[in-house]
Amino acid sequence: MIEKKTNISAMTVLILGLATIALPLYLTVVIAFKQPSEMTNSISGILSLPKTWSLNNFKEAMEITDFWHSLRNSLLITGLSVVLSITVHSLMGYALGRNKAKSKFYSFVYLFIVSGMFVPFAILMMPLAKQTAELGLANWFGVIILYVVFYMPMNVLLYSGYLVNIPMALEEAAKVDGTSTWRTYWKIIFPIMKPMHATVAVLTALAVWNDVMTPLVIMAGSGENTLPLAQLNFQSQFGTNYNLAFASYLLSLIPILIFYVICQKQILNGVVNGAVK
Amino acid sequence: MKNERKRTFLLITIPILALFICFNTIPLIRGVIYSFTNFKGFGSYDWVGLRNYADLFTDARVGRSYWFTFKLAVVTTIVVNVLSLLLALALNSHIRAKSFFRGAYFLPNILGSLVVAYIFNYFFTYILPALADMIGIEALRTSILSNPATAWIGVMVVCAWQAIAMNTIIYISGLQTVPEDVYEAGGLDGATGWKQFKYLTFPLIIPFFSINMVLCIKNFLMVFDQIMALTKGGPAQSTESISYLIYNNGMSGGQFGFQSANAVVFFIVIVIVSVAQMKFSSKKEEQL
Amino acid sequence: MKSRNGKYLGVVLCGVTAAAMLSGCGSEANSNVTEIEIVQYKPEAANYFTMVEEEFNATHDDIHLTISSPNDAMTILKTRFIREDYPDIIGIGGDINYSYFVDAEILMDISDYAGLANINQGYLDIDESLELVPTDGIFAVPYVANAAGILYNRDMFEEHGWEIPTNWAELNALCETIQAEGILPFYFGFKDTWTCLAPWNSMAVDLAPADATKQVNRGETNFATEYREVSEKYLTLLQYGPDDPFAYGYNDACTAFARGESAMYPIGSYAAPQILSVNPDLNMDSFVMPANDSADANTLNSGIDLQFSVLAECPNKEAAYEVLDFLYEDVNLQKYIDAQTAIPCKKGDFALPTILDGMTEYIASGNMTDYPDHYYPSEMAVDAQIQTFLLKKDVDAFLQKFDTDWLRYNRDIIRLVQEYERQHGNAD
Repeated sequence: MIEKKTNISAMTVLILGLATIALPLYLTVVIAFKQPSEMTNSISGILSLPKTWSLNNFKEAMEITDFWHSLRNSLLITGLSVVLSITVHSLMGYALGRNKAKSKFYSFVYLFIVSGMFVPFAILMMPLAKQTAELGLANWFGVIILYVVFYMPMNVLLYSGYLVNIPMALEEAAKVDGTSTWRTYWKIIFPIMKPMHATVAVLTALAVWNDVMTPLVIMAGSGENTLPLAQLNFQSQFGTNYNLAFASYLLSLIPILIFYVICQKQILNGVVNGAVK
Repeated sequence: MKNERKRTFLLITIPILALFICFNTIPLIRGVIYSFTNFKGFGSYDWVGLRNYADLFTDARVGRSYWFTFKLAVVTTIVVNVLSLLLALALNSHIRAKSFFRGAYFLPNILGSLVVAYIFNYFFTYILPALADMIGIEALRTSILSNPATAWIGVMVVCAWQAIAMNTIIYISGLQTVPEDVYEAGGLDGATGWKQFKYLTFPLIIPFFSINMVLCIKNFLMVFDQIMALTKGGPAQSTESISYLIYNNGMSGGQFGFQSANAVVFFIVIVIVSVAQMKFSSKKEEQL
Repeated sequence: MKSRNGKYLGVVLCGVTAAAMLSGCGSEANSNVTEIEIVQYKPEAANYFTMVEEEFNATHDDIHLTISSPNDAMTILKTRFIREDYPDIIGIGGDINYSYFVDAEILMDISDYAGLANINQGYLDIDESLELVPTDGIFAVPYVANAAGILYNRDMFEEHGWEIPTNWAELNALCETIQAEGILPFYFGFKDTWTCLAPWNSMAVDLAPADATKQVNRGETNFATEYREVSEKYLTLLQYGPDDPFAYGYNDACTAFARGESAMYPIGSYAAPQILSVNPDLNMDSFVMPANDSADANTLNSGIDLQFSVLAECPNKEAAYEVLDFLYEDVNLQKYIDAQTAIPCKKGDFALPTILDGMTEYIASGNMTDYPDHYYPSEMAVDAQIQTFLLKKDVDAFLQKFDTDWLRYNRDIIRLVQEYERQHGNAD
C-alpha cells in the first residue's frame, strides 16, 4: 500500500470555500462590537477590528429584545418538543411498524400519517390560528403540541423503519416471561432504539429552535417571544443602529453555536441518519 | 395474551391518531372550507362558491409568486447540488483536518435562517456595493436587492449558503458507501477524473442524489424566513414566495378566504411535485 | 415507574391541555380590579405609552391598564381577531382597516362618550366618510392627526437663499437650482414600500378630487383619468432623488436626511422623531407639497394618525371611558404632540411642533384633505404597485392595472355600496 498524498487541489477548494462561511460570521462579530461612528464604507474599515471590545451593544440589545425571557421560551419549547416527540413518535412508530404489514387498519393509519409530510404549513396556518385560539392554546404550549403533530410523519417514518432491524425474537422472549407488551416496549424496545432517538432529537431540536412561522402565527401578540420571533419583532426598533442589531443577531446565534461545538458529532450523525434512512 | 398485545397497540394508536387528526386533518379540511368564502379573518362572511379559485388563475400577483417560487427552487437546487457535490468530493478525498472541515462546512445549516438573512441583508445593501465600487464592477454598485431583476439572486444566495451544508453531508455519506476497490478496478481501465466520476462514482450515489433533490425542492418551494428578512416580497413584488403571499395577505391583508384557496392549490402542487419526484427517482434507480 | 407514567400519555396530554385552557381563562378573573388592555399601532410612540400606563396605574386602584405597542401591530391585531381574542381598546389610524372593522361590527358605538364634545368636528367627519356605507353611531375618538408634504433643511435653505416653492413650476426650478449646486434635492427610502405612498398622497390631494375612490366605486370615473397627472409628476420628482432609491429603507432615508445628505425629504410629519433621533440639532421645517400648477389649488395632506376605538366585546365600558379620559387630558395629549410632532384632534390651546411652521396656515384655515390611501384596500397593495411603477416608469400600464385591480379588490365593497344605494336612494 502506497502512502497517499494530501490532495492539494481539494485543500485549495476547501479553504476558499471556507472563506465564504467564515467571512459573514467574522463580520457579524466585528460589527456587533463596533460603535456607529466606526462604521465606514471602505473595505479596510469594514474588515477592521473594533477599537474597543465593549459589551455595551450586547447589554442594550438584551434589554430591547428581552433576551433572557425569549431564551427561556425557546429552551422550554425546544426541550419539551423534543421530549414529547421522542416519547410519542417512538410509541406510534412501534405500534404502526409492528402491525402495518399484517393489518389493514394499521397500514392505513401509517400511510395517513406519513402522507401528512406533504401538507405545507401554509394551508394549516390560518385555520390553526383560529383553532388553537378556540381551544385556548394560543400560547407556547399550543406551539409545542403543533410541533409534535408537524414532525410526526417524518419521525414515525424513521422509527418504524428502524424497527425492521429489531428482531421480533426479543419481544417474544419477554412475552414468554409474561411481561406485558407495554413493559416490554419500555424495557427492551425503547432502549434499543437509542440511535434513532438521537437522530429524532437532533432533527426536531434544530427545526424547532429555528422555526419562525409557527410561533409567529400562534403566539403573535401574546407578549411572549422565542429568540427568532424577538428578532423579527424588534427589527424596527434598531432603526439604523446596525451595531446594536448585529449584537442582537449574534446573541440569538450563540446558544445554538455552543450546542453545535459540544455535540457536533451527534448532530452530524443524526442529520445524516434522518435524511438517508 | 394476544388480546393484551392488541389492546395495548390500540391504546397507543388511537389517542395519537386523534391528536394528529385534530391538528392536521381538521385544519386542512377547514382550510378547504374557508377557500369557498370571502372571509377576511374577522367579521361575517359569505359563501362565494368557486370565485376564489377563478380569481386565483387570473391574478397576476399569485401567478408571479408561483413563477418566482419555482424559479428560485429550481435554480437554487441546481446550484446547491453542483456545489455540494464538489465540496463532498473534496471533503472525501485525502486531505488534512478532515473532521474540522466537515464540522465547519455544516455550520451554516444550524443557524436560524431569519437571522442569517438579516445579516446578509446588510451585506447586500452596504458591503457588496462598497466592495464593487472598489474593484470597479459597475453591475454590483447598487444593492442587488433593490432591483426587481436581481433581487431573487440575493434570496438564492442566502438559501444556497445554508442548504449546501446539508447536501454536502448527505453526499459525503453517499461517497463513503462507494468501496475503494471500485476505483481500483476503474483505475485499471484507465478511468480517471471526470470519467471516473461520471461512470463509476455518480451511478453509485444516485440514491443520495435523489434524497438531496427531494429535500431541496421541498424546502425551497416553502421558502418564507429569508423573504421576510431580506425583501418582504419586494421590490415591486418580485420576490413574493407563495408561503409569504399566503401569510401576508391571508393573515394581515384581509384575504383569509382567497389565500385559503391559494393554499389549497399550493398543497395540490406540492403533492404533484413530490409524487412526480418519487416516481422519477425510483425509475432512475431501477435503470441502474 | 416509566411505564405507568407513559401509559396514560393521551390522558395526560388532554389533562395538560385542559389545565392550559383553565389557566388561560383564570388569570383575568381575580379580585375586583378591572383589566383594560390597549393595543396601539405606533411602535415609535412606545415610550410615551409606557409612561401613560405607569401614570395611570399609579393613580387608579380599581383599573389596571396595559398598553402594548408591538411592531407590525396591524398584522398582530388581525391575527388576534382571527383568534377572536380582542383587546379592550385599540389605537389605530383612520384608514381602510378602520372601515373594515366598522363594517365587521367589532367596534363599539361610543356616541354616548362625553369626551367626543371636545373633538374637532372635522376629524369626526373624516371618520364618518371612512365608513364603507353610512353606519349609525360613532366608533372612534380621533387623537392626533399628521400632515405630509416636504420636510426641508432650514439651515441649508437659508445658507443658499432658496425660497419655499408654492406651485409645481417653482418646485421644479428649486430642484434644478439645488442640483446645480451639487446637492441632492430629495431623499427616498423606497425599499420600504409604504414610503412610496407619502409623495403620492401629498400630490394626489392637490391634483385629484378628494372623493376620487368613491366616484370610481359609483362608476362615474376611472383612475386612468384622475391619477394620470399625479403619476407623471411623480416620475419628475424621482429624478431629483438618489441614484438608487430602492436600496434604502425608511430608516436609512431618515438618517441620510438628518445628516444633511439631501435638502428635502418628501414624507409626513411622523418622520420627525426618527430624524431627530439621529441628529437632534437639525433645524428643519416643512411645506405643503406644491404639486398643482396653481398655488391656490394646493391643499395640505392631513389625516387621522391615531384614534382610539373601544371593541364591541369590551365588558367594562365605563372603565374604558375612564382610560380614554386620561389619554385625552390636555397635559398628556401635549406630551404626545411634543414627542411625536403631531397635530391634536382635540379643541384647545396646544403648542404645535415647530417643524409644522410651514403648514400652520393651512391647518388654521382648515385647508386639509385626507390621505387618499386611507381608502385603498390593503390587500391591493397600492404601495407595491406604485413602487413597481416607479421602477418601470410606465404610466399607462400602471394606471390600467390600477383600474382593473381596483374593481377586483373592491367588488365586495362596490356591491355593498350599490346595495345600500338601492335601499336608501343615492345619498348625494
